[in-house]
Amino acid sequence: MTGARDLAALLPLAIPAAAACLLPIAALDKDQSAQKWIRGAMFFMAMLALLGSFFYVTQLWSTGHQPVYAQLSMDRLAQFAAIFVLIAAALTVLQLWDHLHQEGWVKGECLALLLTSVSGMMLFTATTHLMLLFIGLELFSIPLYALTATLRTRSEAAEGGMKYFLTGAVASSCFLMGAVLLYGVTGTLDVSEMGIRLSVAKGLDPLALVGAALLLLGFLFKASAAPFHQWTPDAYEGAPHPIAAFMSVATKGVALIALLRIFPGLVAGGDSLLGVKVRMAIALAAVLTMIVGNLTALVQTRIKRMLAYSSISHAGYLLLAFVAGTPQAFTGVLFYLVAYLAMNMGAFGLLTAFGLVGERVTFDHLRGLGWKRPGVSIAATLCLLSLAGIPPTAGFFGKYMIFKELVQTGHVGLTVLAVLASLVSVYYYLRIPVALWLEQPKTSIEREAAELPAVDAPFAGATVLVCGALVLACGFLQTLLVNGFVARVIRDWMGIIR
Amino acid sequence: MTPANSFWTEVLQGGLSGYILLALLIFVIGLATVLLRRSLLMQFMGVELMINAANLALLAFARFKNGDVQATTFYLFIIAVAACEAAVGLALIVGLYRHRQTTDSDRADALRQ
Repeated sequence: MTGARDLAALLPLAIPAAAACLLPIAALDKDQSAQKWIRGAMFFMAMLALLGSFFYVTQLWSTGHQPVYAQLSMDRLAQFAAIFVLIAAALTVLQLWDHLHQEGWVKGECLALLLTSVSGMMLFTATTHLMLLFIGLELFSIPLYALTATLRTRSEAAEGGMKYFLTGAVASSCFLMGAVLLYGVTGTLDVSEMGIRLSVAKGLDPLALVGAALLLLGFLFKASAAPFHQWTPDAYEGAPHPIAAFMSVATKGVALIALLRIFPGLVAGGDSLLGVKVRMAIALAAVLTMIVGNLTALVQTRIKRMLAYSSISHAGYLLLAFVAGTPQAFTGVLFYLVAYLAMNMGAFGLLTAFGLVGERVTFDHLRGLGWKRPGVSIAATLCLLSLAGIPPTAGFFGKYMIFKELVQTGHVGLTVLAVLASLVSVYYYLRIPVALWLEQPKTSIEREAAELPAVDAPFAGATVLVCGALVLACGFLQTLLVNGFVARVIRDWMGIIR
Repeated sequence: MTPANSFWTEVLQGGLSGYILLALLIFVIGLATVLLRRSLLMQFMGVELMINAANLALLAFARFKNGDVQATTFYLFIIAVAACEAAVGLALIVGLYRHRQTTDSDRADALRQ
């Protein structure tokens, strides 16, 4: 047991958790009788907690302090993950304010659940201990099940939440069983220690193989990689738009960062029998994910389903980096995640900014809207171009960094497939800008929109603008970002392992 | 004695492999329940079976490692987490039932295209 007891490691998690405990007190209202200032105070409190945690983590980052509390280590990788999650959550809270008012269902428990999820994600990425990994996994998943079904007056939301819950609970119990089996084989709950013991063991214990496979299933499920992706479109469609964005960005991000953290332990040096099999499984999942995600996204008529399949296909590109397995490829993963945060938040934010409520938002609803609010639409168009991987946006460089490493480690076939897949994706991403700028609005939809009150979504609009700017900034300043920020994470983290 | 024979003797005499075999069996039964049954409540019970199978295996491993404290603590945490999951899961089932008047998971198909 390590004797380190540095409370600084706990504080980034504790701040959102404490706010999550306080928020329900403010949320004690029946129906929608709460005064506007109470609602404002709830959102303000949530933002304050996220900002407080954010400033604390950035403080740790700038001083280079890497505190450890027993099994929980807030090292550079965990700090990166925390910053990533906090920014995603802050953008989500801003978009939620507008979206929940559009839906007429402003509840404080949404924020409390979101903040609980945030601290769970930080815990999940800050440890290699299987017990803490499991608690972190459940701490961020369980609130997300409830968040998906939060608009409970709507039957689609309840259905989406139920589907997400059932599949998610199965994946969590598989993860748990995998963890237990690996513990039984190696006698330790720490994955990095496990890797050492597995690499010296002769032969391959079938229990270890089953355990590793079940553990990997849990991660792939959370990253929504095929063949464990079926929940994604239904859950995203049932969830409020900002929550769907948060799930797609943060859940995928932390699942991949946590996988990155335990990956060296799991592949046990890389040349062991188990390591080879794990790599093969990941390569297979990546290929399947890219093909299924991109081809299914082509035929979708509803925007949120299309974005859900697009998020599946992005999980495929990100998993390819694990096949390459070099430090540069992992740098690519983290850079890609930053870019993905901006572009996906922007794409989902577009729906909120235009006040398109309900779970059946089709491409027709967006027709001709670009000319009405050009600023937001230009920013969203940038985000979509970035999702499609068109230079000089951030998405292009993220893909470029991963694919380059893939070629250099000799996986040319995989790279060709990935490039083809991302070429296919250009078609469905461009349907949104085409609808926004080039197509005439349908008269029936225009008449419907005229009857509703005018859309006023200042915060959501602002987040889309921020995302658009971030996409461009990550594109143009990518060397700065990579050298100063992302590469440092991997370098420091790799230093800990060796 | 053949290896197969010695395996079964160990199982019958309360060795570790007996517990693991039972745990894996319960796990598979739970998974089959989730996949095959069409009532949300039964599927939910299947999930609970899977979690408890993992619990059983964990405790068995811990006992045969001289009562490893870390694993035993893990077991207590799993129970707490499973209870939280049950709370949210049952709430979701009730929520869906209020809309559809059924807990048949085949009828939850409004989101399909």
